[in-house]
Amino acid sequence: MASVTYEHVWKRFGDFIALNDLNIKIEDKEFLVLVGPSGCGKTTALRCLAGLEEISDGAILIGDQKVNDVAPKDRDIAMVFQSYALYPHMSVFDNMAFGLKLRKVPKEEIRKRVEEAAQVLGIEHLLKRKPRELSGGQRQRVAVGRAIVREPKVFLFDEPLSNLDAKLRVQTRAEISKLHQRLQTTFIYVTHDQTEAMTMATRIAVMNKGVLQQLDTPQTLYDRPANLFVAGFIGSPSMNFFSGSLRKDGANLFVDTGDFAIKVPENRVATYMPLAGKEIVFGIRPEDIHNPTFAPPGIHAEPVEAKVDVTELMGNEIFLYLVTGKHSCVARVDPRTRFMIGDKVQVVFNMDNFHIFDLSTDRENPLAVR
Amino acid sequence: MSVTPANHKFATRTIDVAEFFKIVLLSLFTLLWLVPVFAAFITSFRTMDDITLRGFWSWPEALSVTNFIKAWGAARVGKYLLNSFIITLPSLAGMIFLSSLAAYALARFRFKGNMLVYFTFVAGTMLPFQILMLPVFRLTNTLGLYDTYGALILIHTAFQLGFCTFVLRNFMRTIPQDIMDAARVDGCGEFRIYWQIVLPLTVPSLAALATLEFTWVFNDYLWAIILLRSDALRPVTAGLATLRGQYNTDWPVITAGALLATIPTLFVFVFLQRYFIQGLTLGSGK
Repeated sequence: MASVTYEHVWKRFGDFIALNDLNIKIEDKEFLVLVGPSGCGKTTALRCLAGLEEISDGAILIGDQKVNDVAPKDRDIAMVFQSYALYPHMSVFDNMAFGLKLRKVPKEEIRKRVEEAAQVLGIEHLLKRKPRELSGGQRQRVAVGRAIVREPKVFLFDEPLSNLDAKLRVQTRAEISKLHQRLQTTFIYVTHDQTEAMTMATRIAVMNKGVLQQLDTPQTLYDRPANLFVAGFIGSPSMNFFSGSLRKDGANLFVDTGDFAIKVPENRVATYMPLAGKEIVFGIRPEDIHNPTFAPPGIHAEPVEAKVDVTELMGNEIFLYLVTGKHSCVARVDPRTRFMIGDKVQVVFNMDNFHIFDLSTDRENPLAVR
Repeated sequence: MSVTPANHKFATRTIDVAEFFKIVLLSLFTLLWLVPVFAAFITSFRTMDDITLRGFWSWPEALSVTNFIKAWGAARVGKYLLNSFIITLPSLAGMIFLSSLAAYALARFRFKGNMLVYFTFVAGTMLPFQILMLPVFRLTNTLGLYDTYGALILIHTAFQLGFCTFVLRNFMRTIPQDIMDAARVDGCGEFRIYWQIVLPLTVPSLAALATLEFTWVFNDYLWAIILLRSDALRPVTAGLATLRGQYNTDWPVITAGALLATIPTLFVFVFLQRYFIQGLTLGSGK
């Protein structure tokens, strides 16, 4: 059991900067998810922690020990790989026992631990098989089993679910969460799937182009994204963006997108007043755009005219793809909505939940600064 | 399917005709190929007198195994075969072990000059043997290895290293990096990764190479006559050649010896051919 600390970590591959001054403190027993698009440096961050890549600058600490120059085998970590990386020539039992044998754990103890882990994962009946005789889901379990028998200080997961089919992925996601509760160990999990990040993490680190964008709890990330990138990355379908400016009119503020102008509610005027007259991006999530007929009562509803481009019925809701002049957006509306493709309709924006990103200061969201 | 019975019949018949010609042609080639072997086989069971009286292509008067006994004992084929093994097995072990080590390093480590070393290995295999004959002969002389088993073992090992390294390195490149990383995290040092992870996964390739190299070294004749003088050290290929002078009137003994000499190669192929074919098609698609 241990905390993990990245202190000003840099990783360069030639001219390419994979990690740009990464600072993260991961508490003991935390489930931290590193998320971001491919090539953002999340896997590199994990491999540096595992000792599979050397860092160019900075320090990585496991517990209080600086591990920059510690060999992978002495870092007391276990890793589950995206490809599972099982040893093809060994049985499931030997795959799981291999790390323990290397550590000279007594035979009886190895047998006990492997059987226990196999039972937890429901693979007791597969112990004698070779990896090639297993299904994808079973291999994934063996890979997890190989990690847990080691009883390491830190577990590393590198996109362990991306090779599973959609249904199995949802199921395994829940199982990994359960495993975390059961083992009470630090988990560090890399994924490009924001849903996985949201559902499993105690905290999420969003990365882009080697730079940490925001590190916070899933709900905070969703409610108060620090910048445009995080706002666009977290949430599905993603947040709608409208470029425009903030216009001051007496004591009132208006978001002017060129296609439409909407009033900023009075309780938020003070927050955004410093941005008056500036180029901004206005962001609103699909669930905060409503069909006026079914809009919940008591919200700050601002009407906007739009044309329906596409409708997608999901059963419990409808995704409306709307066009407002030069912008387009997605709305998640009540399934009783009867808008047809091509209709000119009026929707309402719930102005209790919106975001304004300042384009002049690195697209920061003043709301996130608190 | 809406194929009429008549059409269907016609279709199968044309395939059968093509198939038939193929089989006939291939059988003819096989027979032609086997005629000398068959002739040697029959000859080795006859007596020289019988052959001189009736000619090679006649029905034998009587068959006996005396020629084999004579070849094995008096003509020393048994001793020559033993020499062949004494030379072949260490060469094989040496070249496979050393080249697999080199291949692992070349396949798995990024270092300056990796490609240069690799190309040197490949280029080495392209040097014609004739160029090296004299230098190698003089080298063994200088090293005091001339006319010893060591000279042959050393030259075979060194000579085949390039090819073996080339094959194994390319095979090892196909083993996913993740497996080695997993082993590293599991607690393996480099040598253990090579020995317990990479080598077991390279077995098909190793077996194919071993088959090929066994026949290559076992059937070598030129290096044996260049680097050895003593009859007592000769491998079976060179030994058989000396029989010609000694028994120039006794063809049945010589053919019996030659047949004895092919048995080990035959065994290796029969038992390892599964790997050999697998090895030939390695990497040709999955």
